[in-house]
Amino acid sequence: MKRAYQFMLLLYPRGHRDRFAEEMAGVFEEARNERHYQGWVWYVRFAVSEMTGLIGGAAEAWVHRQPSPEPLEAEPPACELPQELAEAQQRVDRNVAAMVQAIANHQFERARVLSGEERRARDTLQLVRQKYGVTG
Amino acid sequence: MRHVERQAETKPLTEPVLLILTSLANQPRHGYALLKDIEGLSGGRVRMSTGTLFGALRRLLEDGWIEPFEQVDTSRQKQAYRLTTVGRRQLQVELDRMRQLTRAGFARLRASEAV
Repeated sequence: MKRAYQFMLLLYPRGHRDRFAEEMAGVFEEARNERHYQGWVWYVRFAVSEMTGLIGGAAEAWVHRQPSPEPLEAEPPACELPQELAEAQQRVDRNVAAMVQAIANHQFERARVLSGEERRARDTLQLVRQKYGVTG
Repeated sequence: MRHVERQAETKPLTEPVLLILTSLANQPRHGYALLKDIEGLSGGRVRMSTGTLFGALRRLLEDGWIEPFEQVDTSRQKQAYRLTTVGRRQLQVELDRMRQLTRAGFARLRASEAV
């Protein structure tokens, strides 16, 4: 359950994840422990509520996505990013957006495939970041 | 820009936002404490999901209605939040609006019962 929750946090824009993912997972874990002792009916209701809340929250976060007000100082401005790095980041963003769209349309098989692509794109991005010495 | 701010001031608050602001009115709270307090405030009617809670918290932080609050007890990684002056004013405006509406509603009920 916790793994599924953490996986679904990937649906959020990166800025939101960086800021809240750890905190959300912690709150979820506390709430889950409490519901666990209230019986399976409460637990199932809790799980459904959390998953639908995450999908709705992620969709809303993408709609209201804003550029991060505090860019990481270690990174050069976006306009000065190497082309390869910018493309790798765009690939990750496109995959996440497609995954959100697929889940919203209940295309779970497609979402699973996109999830694999997203993971590979993220690995590639990590390698490219290391190549250019970009941290964060 | 000023007309945008004025519009935001008079815009009714959504239920999650109103509940979060009310919960933070008397003391700072972290995420799970907010969930529990909101459940109590609403008499068990509202059990907010973490997605809804943190979506509302993000908007409130962006609007400057709440701010992170560093607690003395840092034994666990929990971020607490507290109302800003702007957030407190927004809550006051909304509660005044609700009080006026409640008065008007009761007055009309009494009038209809008297007929």
